[in-house]
Amino acid sequence: MDYDVDVAIMGGGLAGISAAITAANKGLSVIVLERGERSGSKNVSGGRMYIHSLEKLLGNRFRDAPLELPIKKETFEIYTEEKKISFSFENKETENSYSILRSKFDTWFASEAENMGVPVSYSTLVSGIDREDGGLVLRSDRGDIRTPLLIESDGAAAFASRYLGLVKEKQFSMQPVEKLENNPDFMPRQFMVGVKEIIDKKTENTYGEARTILGLSGDIKGGGFSYTNKETTSIGLTLKLDSLEKHKEKAFELIEDFREKLGIEGKLLEYSAHLIPFYRFDSLPPRYADNLMVTGDAAGFLINDGFTIRGMDNAIESGRLAGEAAKKIFDSGDYRDTFIYEQMLEDSFILKDMKAASRISTLFGNERTFDAYPKMMAGIMERMFSVTDNPRENIKDVMRDEVKKNGIGYYTLIEDMLKVI
Amino acid sequence: MELIKRLGLNKNEVGNTSHITVNTDICKKCIDKPCIKVCPAGTYEDDKENGIIVHYERCLECGAALYACPFGALDFKYPEKGVSYIYG
Repeated sequence: MDYDVDVAIMGGGLAGISAAITAANKGLSVIVLERGERSGSKNVSGGRMYIHSLEKLLGNRFRDAPLELPIKKETFEIYTEEKKISFSFENKETENSYSILRSKFDTWFASEAENMGVPVSYSTLVSGIDREDGGLVLRSDRGDIRTPLLIESDGAAAFASRYLGLVKEKQFSMQPVEKLENNPDFMPRQFMVGVKEIIDKKTENTYGEARTILGLSGDIKGGGFSYTNKETTSIGLTLKLDSLEKHKEKAFELIEDFREKLGIEGKLLEYSAHLIPFYRFDSLPPRYADNLMVTGDAAGFLINDGFTIRGMDNAIESGRLAGEAAKKIFDSGDYRDTFIYEQMLEDSFILKDMKAASRISTLFGNERTFDAYPKMMAGIMERMFSVTDNPRENIKDVMRDEVKKNGIGYYTLIEDMLKVI
Repeated sequence: MELIKRLGLNKNEVGNTSHITVNTDICKKCIDKPCIKVCPAGTYEDDKENGIIVHYERCLECGAALYACPFGALDFKYPEKGVSYIYG
């Protein structure tokens, strides 16, 4: 088959553009297919990027990126009933992460690739992929594209993998959803939906602040966030799909309530939603197949280790690695053998950090994290900060009592604590 | 803010045909209607006659419903144009 390009990239977001820049730098002919009218027009992120991957990809040029504010203050807040526990950490020197608005950022990022001569074909929707003569034919609304290699960077829904039959959900017979929730093939377990608001509220600080918030998503398992930008504030909730399916509360009602409880006032400028991968480490979707390398959210590269939740640096790095792997595969002449990409991922921080975080992420799948533990901690605080005419209680007795009161077994508690450490 | 006003903040070029179709034979029998519950845009509405009505013009293209229906009743494709975010 005569190919149109050396490598085609589906999706012009962080992973796709990183792959394009890297592959083009190595002399490959590349095309990026982006379904939005420009890069970033379909993208939504919570709003904080750990900057190391971008710096590695672009060197000092990363300073030209339209980032928002360097995050110098981190706050964790846990709400339970009328009580709230919080702690903050400030570091005026750090520039490790930045708040970010993806629509603006991705448009700039794509222009970096275009300046290198990479064609980015916008408003281009791929609606099917066929295997032909050892290569791939991408069916798009702008015609067919023949390529020996495809880098998939199309987000959590992973349409390319679906078109190629690599991702296929099991279809169950009709039954109550409750009966399916523990079934490993029940796909809603593997995703969260993020809902986000941009509020017309400017921070008084010259630096950015990140807030991670638990306990303000009603009965739905999930968490909340807030980031300050240059001119606006981003807030949002990440909600587990399987939990939403069991409850009546809707995402658009919960976020309304969330903003009120945070007390953030200002005009609502935008309401957006996005799918977030939330796979267990041992059930991640395929990362490579014949002629295919999967990057970013499509490969499920979200890392949640309790302190940081990150997908954007993984997207950039996995895109960069796929771009490098593309050159090696091109040189080898065997386009089907993409295993080198998997090896590069295994050597990178992505799979190492994901594996390390996998123990703690099991905590986020259990009810205790969202219910019993916050109540227990608030109960301990309440009693230690109250003074009555009864003799003061010993903290050890209070802790023991609150553990018991909230129905947590000691063995379970120790096991969960070990996951954090 | 009401859902419809909320959605009205976004630029959305709605096509003439729906990018989402449902198998109403399955939807009519569905007990929990998970698509209604996960959708952040109110795209799916309970309906006695058809099981589910799809308001595809509300869709934010997040793809939640694609993975939400465990019974294989939902066919979701991205629209050719659709939503464009200013902030993201």
